[in-house]
Amino acid sequence: MSLCQSYVPNYFSIQDILATQEKVPCKFEMQVKHLGFLDPGSDKRDIEIGTSIELPLWMASVLNSQRPSIAEVGLPKIFKEAYRDIMKADPCVVDLHKLAQYFYEFGMCLCMLKHRESSEISSVLVESFKQRFRQILDWAQHSTIEVPESKKLDETEKMIYHMGREVGSSLYLWLTEGGSLITAADMVIQHKKMKLTQKDLLH
Amino acid sequence: MDPSEVEFIAEKELVSIVPNFTNSEVHLISGDVGPFRAGLPVNVPIWMALNLRQRQKCRIIAPDWLDVEKLEALKEEEKSNRFFTKMPSEHYMVVAQLLLSAVDDDIPRVEEIRMAVKDLWDVRISKLRSSVDTFIKTGGSHARLDYLTTMEINSVRPLLPHALDFIDRLQKASEGASRRDMASQD
Repeated sequence: MSLCQSYVPNYFSIQDILATQEKVPCKFEMQVKHLGFLDPGSDKRDIEIGTSIELPLWMASVLNSQRPSIAEVGLPKIFKEAYRDIMKADPCVVDLHKLAQYFYEFGMCLCMLKHRESSEISSVLVESFKQRFRQILDWAQHSTIEVPESKKLDETEKMIYHMGREVGSSLYLWLTEGGSLITAADMVIQHKKMKLTQKDLLH
Repeated sequence: MDPSEVEFIAEKELVSIVPNFTNSEVHLISGDVGPFRAGLPVNVPIWMALNLRQRQKCRIIAPDWLDVEKLEALKEEEKSNRFFTKMPSEHYMVVAQLLLSAVDDDIPRVEEIRMAVKDLWDVRISKLRSSVDTFIKTGGSHARLDYLTTMEINSVRPLLPHALDFIDRLQKASEGASRRDMASQD
């Protein structure tokens, strides 16, 4: 029996790193020396006031959190009002994989910034997931093969889907073929191995 | 949990058998079993019954609910009721699976019973799925799981707990955002 924890972003999580790697439009409110290389459109040495560049979220949040803030963070396309309305209308048909692979994680990070529309964004996040959950549940439990539509899921949804599908298919196997042999948990086997090597070392 | 682990737990359920041998009591960790008298029914755990049966040492008496009419009645009740109804056994699905696969000739109408159990299971699983969906959509924080059997609960794990954890994280982010909004307006 394995303890299976749900995903929480942490320092070492690749998913979290990838999610904060997504780009957001930033508008500089201050002149920044020697950072001209960030703007691929110009060959100047400095970034002038009013320059708009797309920067990864981790960089944007640092620039935004200074007081006075160095850059103002705008909204990426997917969280603009037009797209929010689409998500509100029917979240189930939206291809999140194409639009924003880390829709939820990215959205949550974006909400951390002091943006005036962040409360609307976050409520869209909650509602979309609640609506889309039914699909995930059905796909995970109903088929033994991977559903092609599951490619439309966001990365976090995918993680939940794959976990559910594993359980679904093992239940299906049990229903059709009956029980299999119970094997020892990986941890127990590892522990035994460790004990053995320790013994060998001592003698 | 893997379904086979649930099966392992379910094998502790008692079932009656008619042994064709005589033996004194057997002392097990879970309790004493026996004494066995040839021809007299005795209650033993399922795992023991299956083992004895494989060695042709007993005849298994199916529990009285393992019967086409009773199962059909249960199914009708399940369909008409909005909530889950009480099952005759905490592990009805496992018990049926095990007994029906092991004993072909002890129980009459095996195929029909198998179909009836499967129907009952399907009705309950689809009910479970739709109630999980309403639970998520209405944003409930707790749910009563009366009369749900272990195997059924196991079928929505870890999908449901993980989804709930995730919704919780989303909601916390949303609360944080609206709190900051309030603060910035002041």
